[in-house]
Amino acid sequence: MPRPLTLLLPALIPSWNFFDVIAPSPRVQYGLTATAETEPKAWLEFRPRPERVSLLQMAQRLLWNPERNESLFLTSCAERLVQQPTRHSEDEIYKRIAADLAADPDTAEGPPWLWFRLVFISRDGDGLSQEVLFEALPRRRSDIAIR
Amino acid sequence: MTLDAASRLTEILLALALIQQSLEHMTRFRAEQVLFSVRIGLCVLVILGFGSPWPLVGLAGLSLVILERFQGPYNGGSDRMGLLALWCLTLSQLMPIPVGKELFLAYLGAQLMLSYFISGWVKILNPAWRSGRALAEVFRFSAYPVSEALRGWANRPRVLLVMSWAVMGFELAFPLTLLSPISLLAGLAVAATFHLANACLFGLNRFFWTWFAVYPAIIWLQGRIF
Repeated sequence: MPRPLTLLLPALIPSWNFFDVIAPSPRVQYGLTATAETEPKAWLEFRPRPERVSLLQMAQRLLWNPERNESLFLTSCAERLVQQPTRHSEDEIYKRIAADLAADPDTAEGPPWLWFRLVFISRDGDGLSQEVLFEALPRRRSDIAIR
Repeated sequence: MTLDAASRLTEILLALALIQQSLEHMTRFRAEQVLFSVRIGLCVLVILGFGSPWPLVGLAGLSLVILERFQGPYNGGSDRMGLLALWCLTLSQLMPIPVGKELFLAYLGAQLMLSYFISGWVKILNPAWRSGRALAEVFRFSAYPVSEALRGWANRPRVLLVMSWAVMGFELAFPLTLLSPISLLAGLAVAATFHLANACLFGLNRFFWTWFAVYPAIIWLQGRIF
């Protein structure tokens, strides 16, 4: 069966098992380095949540919520990367991190090598535990298409 | 509500929901802008009722290209419901006989009902949902809460226990709302409030508009059956 039809089938015969199990949750972390040989000293969370979101912002986001929806797409890509790794998911994550870095004047000109890794958070007794389940090979920022 | 009215209202609401989603892609990458500009154009034709059913057929075809582009739905469940609605409407309109048209719209309405019932069923089978722990974990560490402040809700076990049972109770009871037009409207009002809460707390705005778009199909189905 052609791939788009395979992707369509779960929509036409849906399972509707939303939130049946609360699985470990991925966070995308990235780092920048001068060379591809040395790992980043500091990993930064990509698009950390704001401390607060006002009711007005929540109402606005009903109609305009592109960043949040993109973050949810990246969560799907992260989950796919540990279940069935594909070049596509890695490309999508790299592309969106690189685009955000290029758009920010503070990071537009910076170390040339970009890294990302996926940290999965899960419950561990009464606390939480974190585990790095995927680390991508670094890419030169100038090689990532961001248009 | 007649079949034609339900079908037309569903396609207009769905086209509006798809326009809202498409506009969110217009600030990003060029390839996405092209793809979603085409989708906006086709949605406008659907709203205007121009050249029916071909703009819907075009949207259905384009949905395959978009699925391929993102290697699946861009936003999980909400996009899946959008795809289901789009394909059911398209196939309904392409059917040469009335019973065929009814069948696809009825399937869409039935799936809407199942989307609530099955979600409730899989939750109530899970002890973590019955104890309120699952919802606490959603707030504590899942990717969904829109702010760090909301994570504090994880420390309110009694509130979350009540919320868990309210959600499961509503989802499991939803099929009973089909017994009368009034109970269905009341059920859909509760459902819309539930989606609104999910949009505010978890940023799932697409669910609100996509599920709302399918409400005419279930309103028609209720009248057709009972």
